[in-house]
Amino acid sequence: MAFKKKRKSGKWIVNIVLGFICLIWLLPTLGLLISSFRPAADILSTGWWKVLPHQEWKAAGDTIKLPKDVDLRGPIEVNGKTYTDDQLKAGVEVDGNRLIWENRRARVISIEKQGWVTSTDLTLDNYNNVITGKEYTLKNADGSETTEKGTGLSQAFWNTLTIAVPATVIPVLIASFAAYAFAWLRFPGRKTLFVIIIAMLVIPIQVALIPVLKDYTSLGLNGSYLGIWLAHTAFGLPLVTYFMYNFISQLPKDLFESAFMDGANHFTIFSKLILPLSVPALASIGIFQFLWVWNDYLVSLIFIGNQPGVQVMSMKIADLVGSRGNDWHLLTSAAFISMLMPLAIFFLLQKYFVRGLMGGSVKG
Amino acid sequence: MKKTGKTKASLLMVACLSLTMMLSACGSGGGPTDPAASTNTNNNNNNTTTTTTTAAAGAELDKALKGEYKGTKVTMFGPFVDADQKKFESSIKDFEDKTGIDIQYEGSKEFEATINIRVDGGSAPDIADFPQPGLLNSIAKTGKVVDLTNVLDQDKMKKNYNQSWLDMSMMDGKDGKIMAGIWNRSNVKSLVWYPKKQFDEAGYKVPQTWDEMMALTEQIAKDGDPAWAIGIESGAATGWPATDWIENIMLRTTTPENYDKWVKGELPFTSPEVKHAVDVMSKIWMNKDYVYGGTKSIVTTAFGDAPKPMFDNPPKAWFNLMGNFITSFFPTTAKVDQDYDWFYLPPIDEKYGKPVLVAGDIYAMFNDRPEVRAVMQFFTTGESIKTWVQSGGVIAPMNDASLDWYQSESDRRMAKLVQEASTLRFDGSDLMPGKVGAGTFWKGMTDYVSGTATLDDALKQIQAGWKN
Repeated sequence: MAFKKKRKSGKWIVNIVLGFICLIWLLPTLGLLISSFRPAADILSTGWWKVLPHQEWKAAGDTIKLPKDVDLRGPIEVNGKTYTDDQLKAGVEVDGNRLIWENRRARVISIEKQGWVTSTDLTLDNYNNVITGKEYTLKNADGSETTEKGTGLSQAFWNTLTIAVPATVIPVLIASFAAYAFAWLRFPGRKTLFVIIIAMLVIPIQVALIPVLKDYTSLGLNGSYLGIWLAHTAFGLPLVTYFMYNFISQLPKDLFESAFMDGANHFTIFSKLILPLSVPALASIGIFQFLWVWNDYLVSLIFIGNQPGVQVMSMKIADLVGSRGNDWHLLTSAAFISMLMPLAIFFLLQKYFVRGLMGGSVKG
Repeated sequence: MKKTGKTKASLLMVACLSLTMMLSACGSGGGPTDPAASTNTNNNNNNTTTTTTTAAAGAELDKALKGEYKGTKVTMFGPFVDADQKKFESSIKDFEDKTGIDIQYEGSKEFEATINIRVDGGSAPDIADFPQPGLLNSIAKTGKVVDLTNVLDQDKMKKNYNQSWLDMSMMDGKDGKIMAGIWNRSNVKSLVWYPKKQFDEAGYKVPQTWDEMMALTEQIAKDGDPAWAIGIESGAATGWPATDWIENIMLRTTTPENYDKWVKGELPFTSPEVKHAVDVMSKIWMNKDYVYGGTKSIVTTAFGDAPKPMFDNPPKAWFNLMGNFITSFFPTTAKVDQDYDWFYLPPIDEKYGKPVLVAGDIYAMFNDRPEVRAVMQFFTTGESIKTWVQSGGVIAPMNDASLDWYQSESDRRMAKLVQEASTLRFDGSDLMPGKVGAGTFWKGMTDYVSGTATLDDALKQIQAGWKN
């Protein structure tokens, strides 16, 4: 009994620690979410936590007017007490009230009392700007103004989806074929080939950018969907193959042998046995690859560019901020919209994801 | 034992194979230069045809306006996105309609990083817009930029541009000097923005000399406000607004020749001239009564957020030294000429006249086709930027851009300031090699202002950027 109790309290501690870690991880996201509903001026001036009820000094309506010629650099006398300018800038507490400059130029000091404040000034403007596009005001020659509507994220959203789905399906499919071959077919050079593929894992994609771009230029693949599918496929294949190999090679051998005895050829074994059995692995590596493609900026930047017809979300979001970063507050809502798809995929395939995480860990 | 030997052998083989694969990748990377070379010969043919029909330089624009290149496409790549992209597209729309040439503009925030990769990868755009001539300079050295000397009518160019602009477009090519680009947009960086309405109400007068400006700063401090709103935070580019200050002061305390030498790296940062310039700046920056939020806040305030206190009522700060593009950060409710205005950062030493610091965009050509030539020739005319000028926020460097186009008094005065400047100099940090101008210069100034380095150490650190 005592042992059981101990275990129970241990569980509690683990839960509290885990909860705490979760909170630390989630807090910035929560802040971002709240910020995304705040007006631009508020984001600039105060932190997101000011939305929550908190104590703050508020002007009580009373002011003290000092003579205009008070020297700000010397001691300043207020109601018989002297303060320095720095004190009055930061605010000094006197009998539960706080004295602070209201208008330093006019030498007016405000008396503030502490009170509860919630700033509930929330807006959908950020989302509006991001989804439907910003409005630009252009002046005409005669001084009149025309408003032009920019494009929102919708086009970029579909572009990204057009890229991400094939760029996930193609490598996962090819890698499954390859993994099966490496795991269960006997052919000369099998091990060597496999080790070469594993070795590719350590080559950073950056070294390949310019050579591949040169080839793409000669083939006319730049800025086309086909080009970026191939790029993502190639850059993703080593990891996906390795992952799938580890899973497929662990499947019981007897299964294939009996299927073989029954007259199944390799393709039948693959499509009827391997694929259904490796759904967890397929799903989890699918999530990995999808997230990588969805969040990718570099590969898109190099191979597909910024033409509106093919521009991906990550690049469109960077553009929304403006040439000089003047609209950075839009990043808050844009980040949330771009998170929607990965979140949906994750929750949809969550059960496979956890199972699949162990896909490469235990080797028989 | 035997097994480990085998794995070792296979590992060795892998290493060899991956090496050969990488080598072959590089080799095949060289392959596509063949078609590129063939297009080059085409270009040469074009060149010869244009040179044979002498004085044809600049003729493509007329042909284009007659509709000869209808249906052709010209790709363009540049750094402006969002609102600026809209303004650019509206400024070329008329030309596109008239000629039937489709200018496909692609904007990227990552322009500086991408253009090198594109040029190296053989997929250079027809025309690229460089906000920093230093970057174009380094690409011109590889010989991939088309020399514009024969593409543009040089007599017309001389008429339409201040000689300073033309000098700044000459760069070192692969074999000797080439005209690497043309200037299309410019902005002025010697402007001090101030809240005009309250400024007038407070009875202040726009200072005409540096001493007057310092006296006014002191006056405002006595009245109860720090005069200057300064912020140099800008993400990875933190520190650049400080370079504008130093450049402006350099132009006002030493000769333009010294400035040019400094930009070229012949006058070191550790020289007394540069040190003096920083000292002059420090008299404002390092005085906590003069800077909104105190010296400490300079490094942590974003340059775009810095002017915000000027629009409080009453203003909490009064001056902000920044290029004309800063207006896009001003509150949308504030009106130019009424709520805010600018004055010219006053001269320090009468000897050096009224120097003006400018920056701008230089357009370079990478593929020589007649329709691209026509577009380049179009970009040398004021017409190519007319609607943008009308929208505000940009100054046309061309002489045929009429002052009437400017919709605000503020913009018009700016254009005049540039045209009448006794000395026109380009933003030095944009001209310096990236390692200095966009590297140690930014970092050194940030370290100095934040107090992590003494002035001497900071200057030494900046100078060290020239060595790598």
